Amino acid sequence: MQRGSQARKYRLQGAGLDLALPYLMLAPGLTIVLGVLVYPLWDGLRASTRAYRYGSPVADVGLQNYLHLWSDAQFLNALWVTVKFVALSVSFEAVLGFALALFCLHEFRGIRLLRTVLIIPMVITPVVVAIVFRLIYASDAGMLTALSKAMGGGEVQILGNPLNAFIGLVALDVWEWTPLMFLILLAGLQSLPHEPFEAARVDGAGAWRVFADLTFPMMRPVLAVAIVLRTIDAFGTFDQVFVLTRGGPGEATRLISIYGYDTAFKFQQTGYAAALFVTIGLVVLALAFSAIRLLRRVDAS
Amino acid sequence: MSNRLSRILTTVFVLAVVLLPIYWLVSTSLKSNREITQEGTLYPHVPTLDNYVRLFTEKQFGSYLTNSLVVTFFSVAIALIVGAMGAYAIARFRLPFAAERKVGLFLLTLRIIPPVVILIPVYLLMLSLGLLDSWLGLIATYTAFNVTFCVWMMESFFREIPVDLEEAAMVDGDSRFGAFRRITLPLAAPGLAATAIFAVLVTFNEFLFALALTATPRAMTMPRGTATLIGRIDTDWASMAAAGVIGALPIVFFALLVQRHLVRGLTMGAVK
Repeated sequence: MQRGSQARKYRLQGAGLDLALPYLMLAPGLTIVLGVLVYPLWDGLRASTRAYRYGSPVADVGLQNYLHLWSDAQFLNALWVTVKFVALSVSFEAVLGFALALFCLHEFRGIRLLRTVLIIPMVITPVVVAIVFRLIYASDAGMLTALSKAMGGGEVQILGNPLNAFIGLVALDVWEWTPLMFLILLAGLQSLPHEPFEAARVDGAGAWRVFADLTFPMMRPVLAVAIVLRTIDAFGTFDQVFVLTRGGPGEATRLISIYGYDTAFKFQQTGYAAALFVTIGLVVLALAFSAIRLLRRVDAS
Repeated sequence: MSNRLSRILTTVFVLAVVLLPIYWLVSTSLKSNREITQEGTLYPHVPTLDNYVRLFTEKQFGSYLTNSLVVTFFSVAIALIVGAMGAYAIARFRLPFAAERKVGLFLLTLRIIPPVVILIPVYLLMLSLGLLDSWLGLIATYTAFNVTFCVWMMESFFREIPVDLEEAAMVDGDSRFGAFRRITLPLAAPGLAATAIFAVLVTFNEFLFALALTATPRAMTMPRGTATLIGRIDTDWASMAAAGVIGALPIVFFALLVQRHLVRGLTMGAVK
């Protein structure tokens, strides 16, 4: 079967101009990608081995920029904040999204409204999501303060306090991206086979047994895909932090992307920032590929 | 009965969590700054549209909107055309050294790398080409990003279409490209639409590159303009809220209109 379709594909290729067709069809897209993405990627690698002054390279420094990263307390802090942010946000999103998907599995009135409304957070411009949360957190005009005052309390301080600001950022991410988890996991749940669940019901298994012995094990691959997708995405989070806290107060919400941006555009350390971003790119790629390998093994077993 | 009650309570709770923040944004945008800071009302007691009028008369939101529409339209349109051809080549042809599969994997790898990683060199590239603060610079950048996932998504759509139909067209005298254009492309239209919708969403919402590559209302997009505005007016909550509503309205409206096609793109093809 496999060989048959292969042969047919060769036959389809024909002769003359048709032989060059695949290359002609790939060429425009590849040209754009090579020019605007791949060349800059290579250029970034080159920049990462240089020292810059006022935006122009002044010396080759080899791997010094990369080595310097690991003794830079601000970089290490940004890395730690990012890891904390990603781990916390994605965990909450996975748990809440899974619970919500299980809840919505049974059709009932209002479910279409729920699904429609849940689309809103993830399609709103991230910059606007940050504005929404600034309006919630603001100590003078914010929703939390207004609610607190309506109940006889005082001003609520969120963005001025390091711990609260960090939690506030995680809450923003959870609000924005739990719906995505929910959609992926709901689709996964809906594609599970019915028979095992019928059998369990006949055997009189309780809801918790069904979940622990059937639903969860069968959902593990989908759950893994969803978590990997979100993790990769969360590592690059920038817009929301830039508008909500700009990394502050102090360094409490300064993610790696914000630190890199400031290093490049505020402090003009182009080479050092390039090394930082190359490192982050490698980390994310390593993460993605080990996740893909892991998933393949799960699929195979 | 209690089952039904808990179902209703959960639904109401979820709706409230999602919609209250949005209610607060809209309600703040309809208040005056005096009402916001001094009275702290829970809904606009004296609703006003002044905040919106000011955005367009004093703050150039008209230009931002135009720039966003132009940049989004061209970068999505070009990426779709170019991406559809590339995806078709990868889905249908077997090249020496499995080159087509390597190209596909390569584009996926580029898609995985966080965009912020190439921000600096792209900025330097546009600087050297004199394309900073221009439509063209943004269009080039966004087109390239869009191509990487357009190819990836559309490839799977083309694979779902049986080869036999094209073979039949070619037996009838169509060229290979003619069969692609007349048979496969129309059949893949729903998939192309899903891809286009997702591309529009991502492009319209993009902020990071707009931040680095544009500096004046000549080329600033909606998210970029909005962020600039609120950077300058730290306590003008009313304008900030109105800017948020205007910034989000077109894309939320668009998304709700096409929501059936949205899910596959948002999940990078993980969900059909």
